[in-house]
Amino acid sequence: MSPGELILEVRDLRVRAGERLILDGLSLAVRAGEVHAIMGPNGSGKSTLTGVLAGRPGYEVVSGSATYLGRDLFSLPPEERAREGLFLAFQYPVEIPGVNNVYLLKAALNAQRRHRGLPEVDAFEFLGLVKEKLAAMRMDEGLLNRGVNEGFSGGEKKRNEILQMSLLEPTLALLDETDSGLDIDALKVVAEGVNALRGPARATVLVTHYQRLLDHVVPDRVHVLAGGRIVRSGGRELALELERRGYDWLREGTAAA
Amino acid sequence: MIETGSFERMAAARAGLPGGAAWARRRERALKTLRARGLPDRRDENWKYLDHARVAAYPFESPPAGAARTAALPDSSLLPIEGARRIVLLDGRFDAALSNRLGTPGLDVVDLGALLERDPAAALELLRQPGDDADDRYALLADAFAAGGILIRVAEGRDIAEPLYLLHVASASEPAVQHSRVAIQAGANSRLTLVEHFVAAGDAAVLGNLAAEVTLAEGAAVTHLRLHQQGPAAAQVESWFARLAAHSRYDQHLMALGGGLLRSNLHVALEGRDASCRLDGLFLADGERQVDLLTRVDHLGAATKTVQDYRGIAAGRGRGALNGRIVVHATARGADASQSSRNLMLTPLAEINARPQLEIHVDDVQCRHGATIGTLDETQLFYLVSRGLDPAAARALLTYAFCQDLVSRVPLGPVRAAAQALIVAALPDGELARGPA
Repeated sequence: MSPGELILEVRDLRVRAGERLILDGLSLAVRAGEVHAIMGPNGSGKSTLTGVLAGRPGYEVVSGSATYLGRDLFSLPPEERAREGLFLAFQYPVEIPGVNNVYLLKAALNAQRRHRGLPEVDAFEFLGLVKEKLAAMRMDEGLLNRGVNEGFSGGEKKRNEILQMSLLEPTLALLDETDSGLDIDALKVVAEGVNALRGPARATVLVTHYQRLLDHVVPDRVHVLAGGRIVRSGGRELALELERRGYDWLREGTAAA
Repeated sequence: MIETGSFERMAAARAGLPGGAAWARRRERALKTLRARGLPDRRDENWKYLDHARVAAYPFESPPAGAARTAALPDSSLLPIEGARRIVLLDGRFDAALSNRLGTPGLDVVDLGALLERDPAAALELLRQPGDDADDRYALLADAFAAGGILIRVAEGRDIAEPLYLLHVASASEPAVQHSRVAIQAGANSRLTLVEHFVAAGDAAVLGNLAAEVTLAEGAAVTHLRLHQQGPAAAQVESWFARLAAHSRYDQHLMALGGGLLRSNLHVALEGRDASCRLDGLFLADGERQVDLLTRVDHLGAATKTVQDYRGIAAGRGRGALNGRIVVHATARGADASQSSRNLMLTPLAEINARPQLEIHVDDVQCRHGATIGTLDETQLFYLVSRGLDPAAARALLTYAFCQDLVSRVPLGPVRAAAQALIVAALPDGELARGPA
């Protein structure tokens, strides 16, 4: 993949959850090498966007399309989206007692490797790799042998998401409010993890309510999501303006438009 | 259902049993109850989920299988427990040749078959005759018709460091019903780890009916691991009765992972002050398997304690039932009892019935209980799938995970590993067979 190539193209997407239309004509184009930030008030549809792209059950695509690396994203089951390099960092990472954290990491990596026709990772090599990533995330090694997210603090859960991400090296990372509930130190570690993956062949979509993560992960594009569609796009300065002025002026703007 | 008239035919088929006149009287007493009241059936509250027709299909009226002695045990069925002292009950009878390392100071292992021949009066004293209640009647039957079994005594103050491995082997090549008798007596302040393992050497339709008791004197501690690993043609009805004196402790880990049908009764009487028990139970009712568990704990002494944690999985056309009752009597001031039953139903045709019951006759106690029956958590499933795992592998992994805290509490590595392997083998996906961490 070369820089500037389209990784994700969402066109006029309308998505319903139950009776409610949540995304209402959303369009977005993400190119290789870019980091996009999607900001918006609560209930604007931010999590629905990442959820529907990752294949979370419970959504109905009413119309529109999402093309990922030239393929119809919605025709792929969620596990295949993951193996094709799409990664969702959850806003609320799930606790799975009884499933060993390191086992999941290995199973996820091997699922991806098998899909790509690569041999499974050697156990010894794998452990070395994980430990290296773990150190980068400043996570305790003890967390590896715990159940997935079991008894983890809020910050540990978010770091664990980024740990998985850095191991799987996704082509497209979707981060759903990964910054929420983090203290400043954890925020920096998470930001480093995201920045480490920046590269000409990848892209990241950060969904966030606050702009403070963007102090550490500087986005190429900032979008404001309101009422289920993107109402404004701009550069980094848009985030700062949002912080200063809040979201209300944009809502008024939408109503007027 | 077993007709009351069939008890005469059962008795006739077993007319040659040892025990002399003393045991003849004991048998006659049992038969009197059985003739009058029969074995429990679905009208008995605690037996309503059991497939009685399936039990009755086993040849109760046939003579016990002859001395079909196998020369050696199938290695694959042996748990590699280091240093274990092995006691083999072959078709319900003690087999000295297959057993080993039993000569240990403080440990007395008595062949009940031989004792019945040699000193039936002593056997009468050493073995309690089960009562007449519906819940005890299979035990009553086993006690009356057992040709043998084993009595294990641990002397006062003895700590038997190596586990005692009690292997029940069904070797009959023809359908059979095998009654057997086990009794454990742990002396004051003694310690014992007992591993009970049920295997079948063949695939004949054999029903084992076991009446067993464990008696803990003051301060004794018994850890009891139980693993059912027979084939689908095998059935097992068992009745364990545990009596605990003051300050004693009984821990049981039940792993019902094999056999076609298992009916397991466990009655624990916490008689002495500060007696406590931990009851862990895991069952897997997949395929056509039925697992029907009845537990009853009586808190009689003050400050007695129970922690019960049971988990069940039903899949295919499997059926699982847990009827768990805890009774806190008026004498059990300061008792503490908790009971949890969590169940997973994986397929629409599977069935689980969970009935926790708590009966409290005194204030000043702490009691909690809860029962859940559910399916796999969709949020967890999506999380795993979103990491690239196959949905089938994710389901298998979550099913495996559901068992893990119970399995991880099994205190002996080889038993834990065997349970783990049986669970993995039962899961529908090969992903796990490659070795969950």
